[in-house]
Amino acid sequence: MAIVFKDVFYIYNRKTPLETEALNGISFSIAKGSFTALVGRTGCGKSTLIQHINALLNPAQGEVDIDGWINAAEKKKRSKKVKDLRRHVGLVFQFPEYQLFEETVEKDVAFAPKNFGMSDEDALKAAHAALLSVGLNESFFKRSPFELSGGEKRKVAIAGILAFHPDILVVDEPTAGLDPLGAKAMMELFKSIHDAGTTVVLVTHDMNIVLAYCDSVVVLDNGKIVSITDPVSLFSQDIEKYSLETPLIYQLVKDLEQRGAHLDLTKIKDLASLADQLVALKGKVS
Amino acid sequence: MNSFSLGRYVPYNSFVHRLDPRDKILGSILLMVCVFLPISGWAMTFTMAGILFLLSAILLWCTHSSIRDILSSLRSLWMMIVFLLIIYVLMPHANPTLGVAWNWNGWTVYWDSFAEAGKIMLRLLMMVELTMILTASTKPLDLTYAFEWYLTPLKLLHFPAHEVAMTISIALRFIPTLLDDTNRVMKAQESRGVDFTHGRIWKRLMALTSLIIPLFVSAFMRSEELANAMECRGYNPKAKRTRFRLLHWHWYDYLSLVIVAAVFAFSLYVTITHFDLYAFFWGLTVL
Repeated sequence: MAIVFKDVFYIYNRKTPLETEALNGISFSIAKGSFTALVGRTGCGKSTLIQHINALLNPAQGEVDIDGWINAAEKKKRSKKVKDLRRHVGLVFQFPEYQLFEETVEKDVAFAPKNFGMSDEDALKAAHAALLSVGLNESFFKRSPFELSGGEKRKVAIAGILAFHPDILVVDEPTAGLDPLGAKAMMELFKSIHDAGTTVVLVTHDMNIVLAYCDSVVVLDNGKIVSITDPVSLFSQDIEKYSLETPLIYQLVKDLEQRGAHLDLTKIKDLASLADQLVALKGKVS
Repeated sequence: MNSFSLGRYVPYNSFVHRLDPRDKILGSILLMVCVFLPISGWAMTFTMAGILFLLSAILLWCTHSSIRDILSSLRSLWMMIVFLLIIYVLMPHANPTLGVAWNWNGWTVYWDSFAEAGKIMLRLLMMVELTMILTASTKPLDLTYAFEWYLTPLKLLHFPAHEVAMTISIALRFIPTLLDDTNRVMKAQESRGVDFTHGRIWKRLMALTSLIIPLFVSAFMRSEELANAMECRGYNPKAKRTRFRLLHWHWYDYLSLVIVAAVFAFSLYVTITHFDLYAFFWGLTVL
């Protein structure tokens, strides 16, 4: 298990009239090498939860074990070197484009690797590789990050995390505000990173993405975990009470089934796999 | 992050919260003047300071903010106390009355130096307390209304009272937003391996640029967006406008103002006449 939450509580604005409980006894684990989606309505505690994985927040009660690094409520139990954890876990915030600050794109991407102890030269090399992997070519390297478009800025910011090759990648709504093609390219990138052995945790509101890419889903509601399953069995439940939407492909397959087509729901993730199933079905009929 | 909560509005429903913002502004200004009145004689200085401190502590208690929070958020001021103390100890005192603390080969240090440093600290603390009382118990928007009310007479001199009030209210409105931004950018940079609290000074300065530049960028962006939004809704600073919430003076506003005015008058009387409470009532001779 890469990440284990043990009965974690978190409270914002403690001991003031604005006190709010964000996490309410969270216990679950995320397997090494998995592609986990974290879903739930706005304000259900997703962002609070992922900040515990990077020790940006410390639990008010309980503890989080991230590959042996303990983020506990008590200072004594907590592991010491927070930098080790942050090199291990790459956290991409929502709208990460606001964290850019260097003069050039390559310098900004090389910032994190340098902070984690890489030499200037190696950091720059890692930055170039990361930039190419997100689809920004050499012409971007020397430009100022502030003159780029919103989508390009987002890519630069994500490259800034990918550049130090974290073993666990946590991304908070990476596709929000991107055009459909850009969003797809972004998700394909995370898929290839996952295929290379990285554990990926994804916060998203887009159930199509969950169905297409993730192998397990954690549903949060009101600071509590209400369900941990795989996408297909999640969508077979009534998910509207958690403010989730059934993915289009899944709905299509369900409708086809109602009209008598026998499709294997568990094998359909996107258009390509649906087409395969349909071809197989047609072969059986004729 | 705790120190950022200093000066934020805290939504309780105490009697200080219910006071008219105009009353609170005037009252705080009067009390602040009291704090800085030069009173002769150490005994009277500290007696008056004690009275004011007690008053502000009671008011602070009424607004539900704790003195301990203030003290802990003023931790950085300890450096200043030490600095002040050193300066006062090094400087020769004009007319010492408290006696010699020590005398090393002609370097004479009087107890007055310590008293002086203590007085300054007490004043600073009370200033912070008084501003806290005002900002913790008054919504920023109410504060601006009050400011605008005080500035209205200046309209006769073509002073742009409404525009100034608007600017202040926007500035106040965006303090929490900018703090949230700061928080967010800090966290993002911390995930990128920045350490804001440890390390060499050069490293920490570098870390600070990674915080300040994104903050400036977002602040400029926000101001542009806000300007556009106001323009879209046809905002005209010169237009005559009505207001949904009107400020009213109640009897308790008058009462509190009278009390504060009495304290102010007494402080002023003590300052001007060199009035000595101890000599007057008990015939004591104090320093």
